[in-house]
Amino acid sequence: MAGRKFLRPASSHSDFPMSSRISYFFLLPALLLYSVFVVLPILQVVGFSFFDWDNGIIGQFVGLNNYSRLGGDGVFWAALSHNAIWVVLTLAFPLMVGLLLSAILAERKSSTIRWMAAIYFIPRTVPLVVAGIIWGWIYNPLFGLLNFVLDGVGLGNLAGAWLAESNTALLSLNVVGAWTFFGFCVVIYLAAIQSIDPSLYEAAEIDGAKWWRKFRDITVPLLKNSTLFLGLYAAIEAMRFFDLIWVTTQGGPGYATEVLTTHVYKTFFLVGDFGYASVLSVVLLAIVLTLSSISFWVLRSK
Amino acid sequence: MNKFAMGAIVIASTVTAVHAETAVTQWDQFSQSGISAAGPAMDELITTCAPALDGASVLRTIAPSIGIRDSYRLAVSAGKTPDLAYTWPAASVLAGYARVGALAPLDGYYEQYGWDHINDFYRGRNSYEGALYAVPMEQDLMGVYYNKALFAEHGIDLPTTYAEFQAAAETFKSAGIVPVSFGNRGRWPATNTFSLILGLTAGKAAEEAVLFGDTPWTNDSFKLAAESFQAWANDGYFPRGFNGVGYDEANALFLSGNAAMTITGTWVLQDMIRGATDIDLGVFMLPPMKDGIEAGTMWGEGSQWQLSATASGETQDAAAAYLNCLLGDEAKQVWVQKANTVVIGTTPEELAEWGADPVVQEFFTAGLATSENNFYDLHTTLPESVTQVLYPELQLLIGGEATADEFLNKMQTAWELAIANGERWIP
Repeated sequence: MAGRKFLRPASSHSDFPMSSRISYFFLLPALLLYSVFVVLPILQVVGFSFFDWDNGIIGQFVGLNNYSRLGGDGVFWAALSHNAIWVVLTLAFPLMVGLLLSAILAERKSSTIRWMAAIYFIPRTVPLVVAGIIWGWIYNPLFGLLNFVLDGVGLGNLAGAWLAESNTALLSLNVVGAWTFFGFCVVIYLAAIQSIDPSLYEAAEIDGAKWWRKFRDITVPLLKNSTLFLGLYAAIEAMRFFDLIWVTTQGGPGYATEVLTTHVYKTFFLVGDFGYASVLSVVLLAIVLTLSSISFWVLRSK
Repeated sequence: MNKFAMGAIVIASTVTAVHAETAVTQWDQFSQSGISAAGPAMDELITTCAPALDGASVLRTIAPSIGIRDSYRLAVSAGKTPDLAYTWPAASVLAGYARVGALAPLDGYYEQYGWDHINDFYRGRNSYEGALYAVPMEQDLMGVYYNKALFAEHGIDLPTTYAEFQAAAETFKSAGIVPVSFGNRGRWPATNTFSLILGLTAGKAAEEAVLFGDTPWTNDSFKLAAESFQAWANDGYFPRGFNGVGYDEANALFLSGNAAMTITGTWVLQDMIRGATDIDLGVFMLPPMKDGIEAGTMWGEGSQWQLSATASGETQDAAAAYLNCLLGDEAKQVWVQKANTVVIGTTPEELAEWGADPVVQEFFTAGLATSENNFYDLHTTLPESVTQVLYPELQLLIGGEATADEFLNKMQTAWELAIANGERWIP
């Protein structure tokens, strides 16, 4: 055995240490880009919110005057409530449907899983602008597919002006959002289910547990982390979406589908009140950052 | 050749080269279809009027009619306005741009080129603090496009009174035909319709008392107008779910023969005439809706040409000369013949002489007959902050979710805030 050498795996800490300086050197380009295209614009908007504006021309420093308008802005509170409703509906439906579908799919043969998961994911690949246009046609009260089908199956009394009525507009749009999101939930849950130890299900079967008991007592608890991730992801996305609303209702009828992003857009681009639009943007940023921080903290602690 | 001569030649060549390279950037809305579909005319006139630019060229961007308003505002904020833009609205919004120094004053060019056909009404809408800042071009009117065959089929004569209009609407409704095609998903169409109803119910003087005086929005005649508009919706004059129907969809519903009338303006004359292959198209003016109110229609300039204050003097001169060509007598004929677009100052006699489409002649003959009494288009007159309240509140009013009083109270609140912020335009 003399002369035989055993190669030890290289350890990055003991054999190839990288100094902090070199690490930051490699991080620098990305940091620079992030600073220029993310941090700097955010700081600019925050700064803008403390000034008076006239047709896009900056005026005097007004301190917190622009912020004091939030309390009396009924449209802001309506928009915020609609964002909150969107979060709740998203948690209630696409998440639940995704969980159920993935649980059912996980027990099928692998080719079925691959095909069905891909089909479920297709709506996720459709840009929200395109989804809004398509569903706008489906919901159209004059020639829409939905009313046509309802009439055809004898349920014409249920046909409606889905995007034109305040009591159905937001829900109708949330259906579109759910349609684009549930496939993503299926894929995430499917991956998580497939990592669950099969012996747990075998043991449950031996004890005589039916499908529903296994789903409730094994699958759901063990998917807690995935549910948490998807829930927080959905909440963050619910605060940021704009295009679906803008191509369909533009916040109408009235203010029924107004959300924070559409309120920001109108205040900035249509009214030209850059100061207050910046305030609304700062509020939106604060909410999204808070949700992101919670998400980061909870998931790291798990 | 001595050095001085060589130098002079080089300098002259450089100047010529620079001059020849001068481009006048132009934004306009003249697409090939939809609102302001005067693309064919604009294409021809750019070529025709190029000599007026004295060597400069036009670098053109076509922006959609509804979107150009937002794009121009962004350009103002960035200090990057195009040299020449055909945008909207005038009045309050134009005054705002002039106030921040984004627009070049045009009084000198008005005098130089004698743009006398632009009367005091239009000059007022395109002025700020006594100086002119834009040149309006299109004559915009509102009227009722109607399906002649449907009217004849149901034995309905053209309404000459409001009662006759209501009777006609009821007849069509009973026959299962949509009386008035209307689509307000985009939120702005209702402002045009309401502007017309307001003028025909309250009258021009009452409008001016609110817009330029101290009379509140909550006055009785405005309330009657709001109630009338709501009544049209409640009485089934409009298609089902009109707040969810697009403007183009509503026009298509009318052009397909499924609606008897549609109330909109001359800005879609081109599309209406081209699309009326299945119907016999006619136009009439909506009669006054209240006793004692004179006949008239909602009218305005639609859009206006503006010069950027950041454009060089040479560019401004070239653009003004080019504009003069676009507004000239020969150009007026091209606008009519190629695009069914009528330039301000065009007479009904000229329209007949140039062989304008009969619908064009019908529209403008009727609309211009009441020019002394014609009234205001709200969303090209009000400050933007008030317009952005008007849009959703009108949807609520005609959707039956707000009373006339609630609607007018909201308008009054927004109006007072705009006045306090110095946004109100007074001609």
